[in-house]
Amino acid sequence: MSPRLHAQALAEALRRMASQPVATAIFIVVLGLALAIPLVAAVLLRSVSAAAAHLDTDPHVNVYLVPDAGDEDAKRVEQALRASSEASAVRFVPKAQALAELKATTHLAEVLASLDRNPLPHAFTVRVRSAEPARLAQIKAEWSQLPKVDQVVADFEWGQRLARWVQFGERVVYAIGTLLGLAILFVVGQLIRLQVVTQRAEIELSQLIGATASDVRRRFLYHGVLQGFLAGTAAVSIAAAVGAWLNTEVQALTPQYASDFKVLSISLGTALALAGCAAALGFLGAWLAVDRELRVFAGGR
Amino acid sequence: MSEMIQFSAAAKRYPGGQEALRSVTAGIESGEMVAVTGHSGAGKSTLLKLAAGIERATSGSVVVSGQNLSALGETALAVLRRRIGFVFQDHKLLFDRNAFENVALPLRIAGLSRDETGRRVRAALDKVGLLAREKAMPIALSGGEQQRLCIARAIVNRPAILVADEPTGNLDAASGAGVLDLFKAFHQVGVTVLLSSHDEGGLDRLGCRRIGLVKGALVPPSP
Repeated sequence: MSPRLHAQALAEALRRMASQPVATAIFIVVLGLALAIPLVAAVLLRSVSAAAAHLDTDPHVNVYLVPDAGDEDAKRVEQALRASSEASAVRFVPKAQALAELKATTHLAEVLASLDRNPLPHAFTVRVRSAEPARLAQIKAEWSQLPKVDQVVADFEWGQRLARWVQFGERVVYAIGTLLGLAILFVVGQLIRLQVVTQRAEIELSQLIGATASDVRRRFLYHGVLQGFLAGTAAVSIAAAVGAWLNTEVQALTPQYASDFKVLSISLGTALALAGCAAALGFLGAWLAVDRELRVFAGGR
Repeated sequence: MSEMIQFSAAAKRYPGGQEALRSVTAGIESGEMVAVTGHSGAGKSTLLKLAAGIERATSGSVVVSGQNLSALGETALAVLRRRIGFVFQDHKLLFDRNAFENVALPLRIAGLSRDETGRRVRAALDKVGLLAREKAMPIALSGGEQQRLCIARAIVNRPAILVADEPTGNLDAASGAGVLDLFKAFHQVGVTVLLSSHDEGGLDRLGCRRIGLVKGALVPPSP
């Protein structure tokens, strides 16, 4: 196969696109916007997923004592917790340590320093053997009855729920991405099919004077690949722009919540892979369309 | 001389049952010019299309340049068609392309460079007397000029075989004579020419061998 034939086919495809710049641009932007929707959703989900990875989702409960509970009270509670068959590990968090950690991880240090006494209670973080809701409710009720215990909180559950929602969201994004990928296949295919139909006289003549099916197909395939690649590139660009725009807002918000959440950017490798996938879909759409029309032409002769 | 085209009991039946050609056996030697004659519907166009590899014989065989066309796959048959110049009865010109681009089409298919394409297209247009009209759109050309443009497209690949289906069919006498003179000139430089025509006077002037067809069958040559 002569490289010149490929160069000619590529040049022909570019010439056809350049001959209708507005239509070509609109087509690419529309496809790019359609592809950008799942891409932006995927980027946001990955960002949430990355932030949620820091959350402690192992089954545990926090046991908070009343504010006036002393060290002796804490020791008695600790003994009771360690004696429980439901506890696999018990970590004591003294009120002084809790205050120091709060000062270090939030912007409340000045406020906390102005207080005349530590408002935080002694607390325990207890790893439990079961995360089953009914069992947890029983444990919470049982440990709430211990002397000087104020609250028993199982706040790992929301982290687990968040992780499940992220997983669900990823599936939704994959489904939407697949559907919109198929849309590229059909939309590019339809565009190429229309071109084939409008160039029917030239194609039939070309075949009569020696063009093979590959010769006919080649420039349409390049056209499909170019359309797909440019649409994929547009989608990545749109998603990157939206991500950067959201990030500026997120950066302004997150310090207030002691969070390091940020919208992740799209790496060059990922961007190229996405554009490549879109190009492959354009190729496949063009192939199917040309093949179908050539069969129709052959049947009509 | 060796045979360039050989029909051996070649028959063609189109889908729908129409029998266009019935067991035709004939040979055309390399460098020979042969005219196929007969009334409309006699099978002239079908015979030419079989020789050019545009149609396949339903039975029998057609051998061109030593290659049995029935045995060739679609791709090989398409490649073989590049070595055969075909002048279509209805010209099959692309009316959205100028004369130069119409003639360049076979060379684009073959993948020739831009420079080589330019040289060959201008040489072909020069041979048929249309070099000055290379930028003209087909619609601006007369019937005779359109036919000559079609001939230029057929010869631009420098084929060893030139097949022409009723090349003078829609032309006035003067234009038809000019076109037949072109075929004579190609024959004189060694090109094998196979054409069909109703123009008895023109064929007499060419003085070439004739193959007669009636209802798809060969007419025995007169004694």
